[in-house]
Amino acid sequence: MQPRNWASRSPSFVAIQNSSRWRAAAQTIRYGPGISQLVEAKRHKNKHYLISDTIVLDQERCVVCWRCIRYLEEWEDKPQLGLFERGGATIIDIQPGQPVNAKTSGNIIDICPVGALTNRVARFSFRPWEIERTPSICTQCSIGCNTRLDTRTHTLRRVVGRENMQVNDQWICDKGRFANGWVNDEKRLTTPLVRKDGTLQPVSWPEALTLVAEKLQAIKSSAGADAIGGIGSAKLANESNYLLQRFMRQLIGTNNIDHRDGADIAALPSGLPALADLMKPQYGPDPKYDVIMLFGVDPSEELPILDLHLKRAVRRGKAQLIIAHPRRIELTRYNGPFMQYMPGGEVALLNGLLHLAAKAKEDKNSDAVKLVAKVTEKQLREVAGVEVDAAKRAVELLANAKNALIIYGPMPARGANGVQVRQALQNLANYTGHGERLAYVGLDANSQGCRDMGVLPNALPGHVGLEDELGRPHLEQLWGVTLPVTPGKSYSQLLDSAGDSIKALYIMGADPASERPNWAANLDKLDFLVVQEIFLTETAQMADVVLPAVSWAEGNGTFTNLERRVQRAAKALGNPQTKAAPDWMILDHLAGQFDANWAHDSAQSVTAEISHAVPLYAGMTWNAIGDQGRQWDAFGLRTSDDYAAAEQPVLTAEAGELRLMDGTVLYDGGTLFGLTRQLSNVAFGLHVAVNPADAARLGLEDGTAVKVRNRYGILTLSLKLDATVKAGVAWIPASLAGAPVGALLNGGLEVVSIEKTDN
Amino acid sequence: MAINNFFKGAVEIGTAMGVTLKTLTLKPVTTEYPRDPVPMYPRFRGKHELRRYESGMERCIGCMLCEAACPTGAIYVEATENDPEHPTSPGERYAKVYEVNLLRCVFCGDCEEACPTEAIVLGHEFALANYSRRDFILTKEILLNPGEPNVIIRPE
Repeated sequence: MQPRNWASRSPSFVAIQNSSRWRAAAQTIRYGPGISQLVEAKRHKNKHYLISDTIVLDQERCVVCWRCIRYLEEWEDKPQLGLFERGGATIIDIQPGQPVNAKTSGNIIDICPVGALTNRVARFSFRPWEIERTPSICTQCSIGCNTRLDTRTHTLRRVVGRENMQVNDQWICDKGRFANGWVNDEKRLTTPLVRKDGTLQPVSWPEALTLVAEKLQAIKSSAGADAIGGIGSAKLANESNYLLQRFMRQLIGTNNIDHRDGADIAALPSGLPALADLMKPQYGPDPKYDVIMLFGVDPSEELPILDLHLKRAVRRGKAQLIIAHPRRIELTRYNGPFMQYMPGGEVALLNGLLHLAAKAKEDKNSDAVKLVAKVTEKQLREVAGVEVDAAKRAVELLANAKNALIIYGPMPARGANGVQVRQALQNLANYTGHGERLAYVGLDANSQGCRDMGVLPNALPGHVGLEDELGRPHLEQLWGVTLPVTPGKSYSQLLDSAGDSIKALYIMGADPASERPNWAANLDKLDFLVVQEIFLTETAQMADVVLPAVSWAEGNGTFTNLERRVQRAAKALGNPQTKAAPDWMILDHLAGQFDANWAHDSAQSVTAEISHAVPLYAGMTWNAIGDQGRQWDAFGLRTSDDYAAAEQPVLTAEAGELRLMDGTVLYDGGTLFGLTRQLSNVAFGLHVAVNPADAARLGLEDGTAVKVRNRYGILTLSLKLDATVKAGVAWIPASLAGAPVGALLNGGLEVVSIEKTDN
Repeated sequence: MAINNFFKGAVEIGTAMGVTLKTLTLKPVTTEYPRDPVPMYPRFRGKHELRRYESGMERCIGCMLCEAACPTGAIYVEATENDPEHPTSPGERYAKVYEVNLLRCVFCGDCEEACPTEAIVLGHEFALANYSRRDFILTKEILLNPGEPNVIIRPE
């Protein structure tokens, strides 16, 4: 067949030549589509075949190279795709009726060499030659996976993984890949809003900022600086958080600045280098860690790429996993000792482990042993609800390990108990010789960065104490003020005392009203509430002034991931029709209203200021960070090797009551997740999950509408039977849309009763 | 000499009048536009049209090759997945948005050459003046319902 004559001279040829798939196209253009020498009829297979809600398989395009099968088997360890039929009829298919549901299944789209697997959320919305590609990072969890954002006509079209061997290899999870519908959503805030006559009305930027400045100054002069509080967000960049805390400390003059999971969590920075080692490539059975203990953290739901790294450590590195969690989490299938503890029994479990470790060593006189002299195996069994056999195996592994890594998450580290849990963990880690490899992992994109930036009521940027003799004068000189020394209120304290001793709040990127109804009531009592947000959240609806901000994809920013790697998220798109502005610009202009000239001309200049203000970030300018990120120097981190007693009040549950547990799920159906409609089927739903044994005891069935009640409130949910939940525990994940489990927990550990609804 | 000139002039006037008289009997080459239709060469390239199959299905499959071929960036296509029950076009996708910006278009015809399904064609309508800039954007609705539908498809 003759070539079509348009092709050789048409501009489309040039366009195709620039695309990544031009070779095949050029062959067709030059030689024509060709006439097949085969005489048999073409074999027809499924062309539009959904193997999950988000992945489409074209079996006619598939060349049966197995890469998708191998990915799911070798990385995810979930053989959900397989080869069916024989010889030339071989096809790749799912098991009947069982769609692919691995948390990182989207990666098989990236590694498919022929484009037989396509991304259902993104496909058809662009051709490869017309998109702009921006290297960025994912901000859905604290791993900080490197991604590439593909944009066209001011909208985000697709997210694909980008290689960074120190962070995510080349993999990203399905939430990061698919759940980005909110970026282009129509409900995004586009203009500043001010409450006039009871409703929020659009105004100009100068009007809104003047009002904010006037009100804050009036409250400062009438009720004092400490009546004003600021709330940052671990979902936002270092630049935003640094400037917010600078604003609160320099211009308001208070240390009332915190973020969710900030000072309320007993974190520990000394384990950061140990986490970095876990994420490095591992090619063979040469383990960096021979034992890894997970305490109250479920990487499969909370940090899916860490889950891949752990599976790699177990399967290639032959590491042993010890898991302590109230749920039988996915990683328990690797057959390490599993201690399913009762919420409220964390310290009892850890003290019991320390007791067993001492007993195994026949140690009776050291400092550590004296702390747990009264601990018995009976307590371990009854208070923590853990089998002694499993605990003994765990202790044996820890004691004999050359390099053991202990990871704990925010769930057991929250509130007053959290400090005790951290101390108990330190006692155990130090006693077994792994003190410097005890690591805390935060869950939000910039959990670590928020701490580094000093968005804490008790620390200045760079983990500098409020009265530090070196760091404090450095910042005072840089900012030209005398900094306040009294520690401020933490996130929960700020919201508990809102409307009482706190008169005004400046909330940036947080939604406390949706967490607990009593906080929503407190916010209503405030004299003045400013919310800087991208959506009109429940909190924003109560605000006096709403300032529209931009998301991570629409502005430049740096994020610090869970192992302290500072990475760039570059501006990938901008909506020309919106008045929303980047956080640094809003705060700069607000500072201008306070007669301060911060004079930043871009996010990069804020990054440069951070590199001067925060000693840990010295030299970390925008260019120096580069495409692969840079770790800050952990040289100054010190491990505490003191032992101290850890105690926790026993949480008693009456007959018929269950202990309540929250925790994070990947597909939570929250504010942002819910806006990607293709993922609506996989969202967790409004459930309370209980063990089938408990349900039978309470006379409840799967799917029953139930009321979950305790002294703090009532939630109406549907009951879900879940054998992974420990008997005696009710599980309601945090941040389900419309189910504020925080209302029932009230910052501590609580019991609930479950009963059928009347109707 | 004067008499000579007189005869020469008379002959020339006679010749000229002969042309006039001859032309009086011929059909005029101009047309009374807009009263009468303008004769059009079959390959004239005027306002764009999107065509359908006889079944009523749209020919355009949203492949965006016209957009890639357009030298002035006058075409904007937004493709999306066909509903398998009620497909808009044969194939997996169709053009949800198809816009031609006439202020940018130079009527080169590359789009119709690039089109694999002969969906976009340049029609014969040439009266394109308008009152507002916005009206120069041809939407998919306008393109699918041209005033004078039966355009001749130019041979390759």
